[in-house]
This record gives sequence, structure tokens and C-alpha cells, in this order.
Amino acid sequence: MKILILGGNGMLGPWAVKAMKDRHDILLTDINAPRGDYKGEYRKLSADDVDGVVKAAAGMDVIVNLSVLRPHRQLAFDVNTMGNYAMMVAAREHRIKRVITSGPHYQMAGQQYEEWDFDLNPDMPPAPGTRLYAHTKALGQEVCRVFSERHGIQVITLLYYNMKHSWDLSGMEPGGPEYHNDMTPYSTAWQDCGTAVQAAVEVPDEQLATRCETFFVFPDLPHGKFNNEKTKRVLGWKPRYHIEGLWNKEFRTPPSNLHEAF
Amino acid sequence: MNVLITSAACATAQIIADALCSAHTLRLTDLPANAGGEIVANDLCHESETDDLVAGIDAIVNIGYQGQSGSNTHLMDYHTRRMYNLLHAASDAGVGRYINISTLRLFEDHEENLVVTERWRTDPSAEDAELLSAHMAEYVCKEFARDRLIQVANLRLGWPFVTDSSTAPNDTAAISSGVIGVAVEAALTSDQLTQWQDIHIQSFVANQRFVTSTASKLLPGLAERLSL
Repeated sequence: MKILILGGNGMLGPWAVKAMKDRHDILLTDINAPRGDYKGEYRKLSADDVDGVVKAAAGMDVIVNLSVLRPHRQLAFDVNTMGNYAMMVAAREHRIKRVITSGPHYQMAGQQYEEWDFDLNPDMPPAPGTRLYAHTKALGQEVCRVFSERHGIQVITLLYYNMKHSWDLSGMEPGGPEYHNDMTPYSTAWQDCGTAVQAAVEVPDEQLATRCETFFVFPDLPHGKFNNEKTKRVLGWKPRYHIEGLWNKEFRTPPSNLHEAF
Repeated sequence: MNVLITSAACATAQIIADALCSAHTLRLTDLPANAGGEIVANDLCHESETDDLVAGIDAIVNIGYQGQSGSNTHLMDYHTRRMYNLLHAASDAGVGRYINISTLRLFEDHEENLVVTERWRTDPSAEDAELLSAHMAEYVCKEFARDRLIQVANLRLGWPFVTDSSTAPNDTAAISSGVIGVAVEAALTSDQLTQWQDIHIQSFVANQRFVTSTASKLLPGLAERLSL
């Protein structure tokens, strides 16, 4: 398939590209240039540039929007909300049948859910609250929903939270990995975050119950706070990496953290 | 009561301002391109100018539908980012009530035979940027209410706007300027509202399209206007 990736040179993008580059034709776009080892097609493009996104989407089968901006009020709305608007306008213009978007778990399960409830699943009504990142991403998801209802575009939303290096379970936070701590809300190895995008691109239409489906992306966790059953069942996504070192008092996983080796 | 009215240059805001001006102290604002005279220019950005705009304000009447014109991206930006900035500033300043003026056109694709109430999900068009923007503005407001940062009354008004005696036979969702004014005045003072309150309002017309019993119940003084 021909895949347009928006915001593809951030944290998640390279892992999604790695998962899909030998299976699909990718046009990578971002405001930042790709890393030196990227050999594919690249175009400098901001996700909120509606005309630019429409132009880049010509001839594509799928659009994947991985763009994210968190702290700056103007940029967060531009990228997280208007980026999805641009994507959906482009999908409508070119009759593209599937789009994938991404964000944090709390664009759906905001503080009210997370602080009070368990077994949180991705088919709940969104309740993001007013925190900037969650709110702007939720607005973007709502734009996708409205376009999906009107035009039958298949929207798949992948919701992540902490992303961890498989070798030591460190993440983006400073100070290195923090073991033996609570993993709430949830964490996922970078490689597995990328293969979830691949699974969303490739899942057959008949596997999807509606034209607008959302998934929490994380490996099995013991806390019962969030539920990933749908992600495994519908997308057929199988995480390769354990992250048990985050909560087990004694390590029981092999040094590689690979699932198959356990 | 000190009341801030946004998009003050538009027709809806002028109807509301005319209705409120005798009983309240009004502060009118709009984007710089639309401002002038007694209308204060403000970008509703996230800087301190928006904090200054809401300082000392008791309630805000926000025009969430057809208050602005321009490109689709401008409308989307205004009704998401700028609404967020305004609500953020209002919450920080302790503004007690936010009245969002929305539209019953969010249900216009439902067949008229259906008894649509406030408990029905809106169904905005993706093609009409004004409607999509109105829907997004409601979304932003609702999250501020959900987080209990401000009380929001979401008034969905009928269409078209008519004078009290000019309703055409096919205007089954029409609303008169008089009803709009009374409704907003009542929404400012009602003690019956919850943290987030949708209210559907249209005039009493032949073959009336939308049920207005919630408005009659929650907005004192409006009931008799809705049943004449």
C-alpha cells in the first residue's frame, strides 16, 4: 500500500517506519528532516498545512498521523487538532478509505476515568478534560469521528502512553529507568508501538466493527486499570517485549526482555 | 452583573446585547478585524490580554455559531483554540457562568418527525465548517464543565432568526429575536442549571420542530414566550 505518514520524524515515527518500510511504500513527512539512515521518500510538511497535506495525500491508500506537540498552547492546537482536520480533508478529497491517528490514553480516559475506575476500555465515551495535550488530541479525534460518520472513512486511533526502550526499560524521562514502581497507566516498548501502527494499517476491514475504532496499545499488565483485549483480538497485535521489570520486585524476564525467550 | 459578549460585531451578539444592556454592564469584544467603536479588540490568545479581558466579569455570553466568518481553518481555530483560551482565562478568573450560543442546526439532518431533545447526540456536518465549528466549540465547553472549572449553559437556538410576526410556514425551527433575548437573560440568572446544561430554544410556531420543555422548566420568564 501507499502510505502517507504525517509527523513521521518524532519519537514514534521511526519505529512505525521500521515496522512497515519493507511491506509498503511510504511517503514520510514532518517539519524536521529524517534521521540519516532513512532511505525512503521524504517531504517537509507541517501536519496542519491543509493544502500541503491534501497535495501530499494524492494517490495514497492510507494516511497515518503521528504528529504530536504537547506544551505550547498554539502549537498544540495547530498540530494535535488541526493536523487531524487536515488529514480528514485530504482523505475526503482523495477518497482515501483509511486513516490512522495516535495520541495518549487520556485523550479518551481522562483524569475522571483514570482516578476512579478500572478495566478501562477504548469503547468508552471520551472524557479528556481540559489538560492541553489530552484536550487538543481529543478534539482531533472528534474531528475524525465526524468525518468518518459523514464519509465512511475508516478511522483507527491508537492510544499510547509511556514508551520504553526494550533493553533497559528507560523512557523519555530523565534519570534513566525506574524499576519496581507502579506502571499506571501503562507502558509499551518502542518496537511494539511501531508494530501496532503496522497492524492498524493492515487489519482487514471485516475485522473492524465500526468505521471509527480506538485501541489502547500496551502489553499485558497486571493492574487491571486498562484493558488491551480488543487490541490483541481485533488488530492481531502481539507485543514482543516484556516490561515486567517495571513492577516485578525480582526480575523474571531475560536480559533482552523478549517475549519469545520467556 | 458584568457580562462579556464575544464576537460582538455579529448579528446574534447585537440581538443579545440589546436585550441585556439595560440590566447589565456589558463588555463587548471581537477579533481585531471586526472590532471598533465600543467593541474591544482581542485575539483571544493565550497571553495576558485574554486574562485582562475577563477580569471582573461575572458571566460570559459566547457566540459559538456564526459569530465569525472566514476560511474553514480560521473557523476551526477560533472555535477550538480560542475558545480554550477564553475558557481557561475565565476559569482562572473565577467567572461563574459561561453561556455558549449554539444552534439546533446540529440536528437538522434528523427527520422532522423525530422528537429531538437535549438528550440526543448532535450530528454535525463535516462539510459545513460553521456547523462543525459549532460542534467543536460545544466540545471544548463541555470539558471545562466536566472538570468543574466553570458552569456552562449551552443554548442551542432555532433557525432562522425572525421578528415576532414574520415566521414563514416552513420555518418550523424559527426563533424570534425577542425569545433569544429573554432566553439569554434567563440563562444568566437561573438557579436551576447544572454544571453542564444543554437547552434547546425555538419560538412557538406551527408544526414546531423542537421540544422546548427544558427551556420552559429551567429558564424563568421564558415559559410563557414558548407557549403563546
